[in-house]
Amino acid sequence: MIEVAGLRVVLPPATVALHGIDLVVRQGEFVVVLGRSGAGKTTFLRSLNRLVEPTAGTVRVAGRAITGAGATELRAVRRQIGMVFQQFNLVRRASVLENVLAGRLGYVPSVASVLGRFPQTDLELARTCLAQVGLVHLAGRRADTLSGGEQQRVAIARALAQRPAVILADEPTASLDPALTSSIMDILKTINREHGLTLVVSQHQLETALAYATRIVGFRQGRVAFDGPPAAVTPTVVQAIYGAGDER
Amino acid sequence: MKPRAALFVAVIVLAWLVWDTGADPVRLARGVPWILDFIMRMMPPDLRVLPAALLGALKTVEIALLGTAVAAVMALPLGFLSARNVAPGPVFYPARAVLNFFRSVDTLVYALVFVAAVGLGPFPGVLAVVAYTTTSLAKLYSEAVEGIDPGPVDAITATGATRLQILRFGVMPQILPLFLSYVLYRLESNIRAATVLGFVGAGGIGFYLQTYLRMIDYPAASTVLLVTVAMVMVVDAISSRLRDRLV
Repeated sequence: MIEVAGLRVVLPPATVALHGIDLVVRQGEFVVVLGRSGAGKTTFLRSLNRLVEPTAGTVRVAGRAITGAGATELRAVRRQIGMVFQQFNLVRRASVLENVLAGRLGYVPSVASVLGRFPQTDLELARTCLAQVGLVHLAGRRADTLSGGEQQRVAIARALAQRPAVILADEPTASLDPALTSSIMDILKTINREHGLTLVVSQHQLETALAYATRIVGFRQGRVAFDGPPAAVTPTVVQAIYGAGDER
Repeated sequence: MKPRAALFVAVIVLAWLVWDTGADPVRLARGVPWILDFIMRMMPPDLRVLPAALLGALKTVEIALLGTAVAAVMALPLGFLSARNVAPGPVFYPARAVLNFFRSVDTLVYALVFVAAVGLGPFPGVLAVVAYTTTSLAKLYSEAVEGIDPGPVDAITATGATRLQILRFGVMPQILPLFLSYVLYRLESNIRAATVLGFVGAGGIGFYLQTYLRMIDYPAASTVLLVTVAMVMVVDAISSRLRDRLV
């Protein structure tokens, strides 16, 4: 589903964020990316849909190359990739339903959508996606009147409205009350299991990662330090990912 | 030691300013009776000039409204061109320089120039308001654009949206309320600025105020002043209510 080969990212002016990553994610996997802050987790996720421009290497998603794609092809591939962010990134002044409808932008004609016109089928789909995260009763509310946990669920509904093949979630629970972590992760797990969607989620909490992932990928200083099932994560592996306490 | 040195310098500078501007509390005290006399002679306001004053006020509001509206649109491209996160360096720096140059001149000075260029009346007043407001709004716009949260823009980009859609759904919702609020704020200031435009022949209520003062018709002048105060207060009240709704 996701094929990454030789992915290297140099952030301006000269920080090497990723040193040549090779990774294949199969359909239906729930991959949790672990690592210290600065290990390259966010850069890795953002280069999968080219919010960050890779310096070298290739990324293929659902069989289509996103690296090297022209503007039209890039948008077509991005439609296949839903993304959930640490800060939710909703349009605060828009309604919940409008935020979910934004997930359809890649499918609707540009000019019609700018005038606020969406096909009836898209409106129905947006409601269905809201129902999936249990928030259909808040459809008319302004996004910034919702709690953090609710906003993140709206953001997940927006990603679902893309009818994606893959969902990337960058620290989706890091800005939330710890009690809400499991509610968000449970929704992601349900999506993964019931719809067969491929998930790549970055997490800084080891316990949460082990509880939900089907596969753990540990990043350290821009390289893959571990790749395997949660059961194989031993103290030695944790040491390899996070390093000794006094390092850095 | 450093704050004390700064305080010492500040005291020296202020003392020099007092001396050089001839600031003198005694002179002010001696002038108080004259101020009171001036106010007494303004009483009671001569309400026969009320229609003329109201017409002048209306013209002032028209000058400020038209000038602000034109400037609000003209400032749009300039605002984006002088936003650091939108315009490339070779565009940004000249655009900022142009803004700072034109902004350093006040509306009244522009009015003098335009009266000389196109003659007396409200039209040079409108031009003066446009000249100053375009650059000052462009500065405010550019700051709004620079303060944008990149998060929603990223999120909309990630859905596969076009540039136009990103602008409409990721950028505009963030800046539009700010832009409108700045325009209303400028409108309030422009009403005040436009009251004195008449002094230099650029139309509006200032013309009446200056005329009656010259004719030493203080009761008539006081009517004009009262209308001016009422006009400014009404526009401020409407405008600030509209601005509250935008947030």
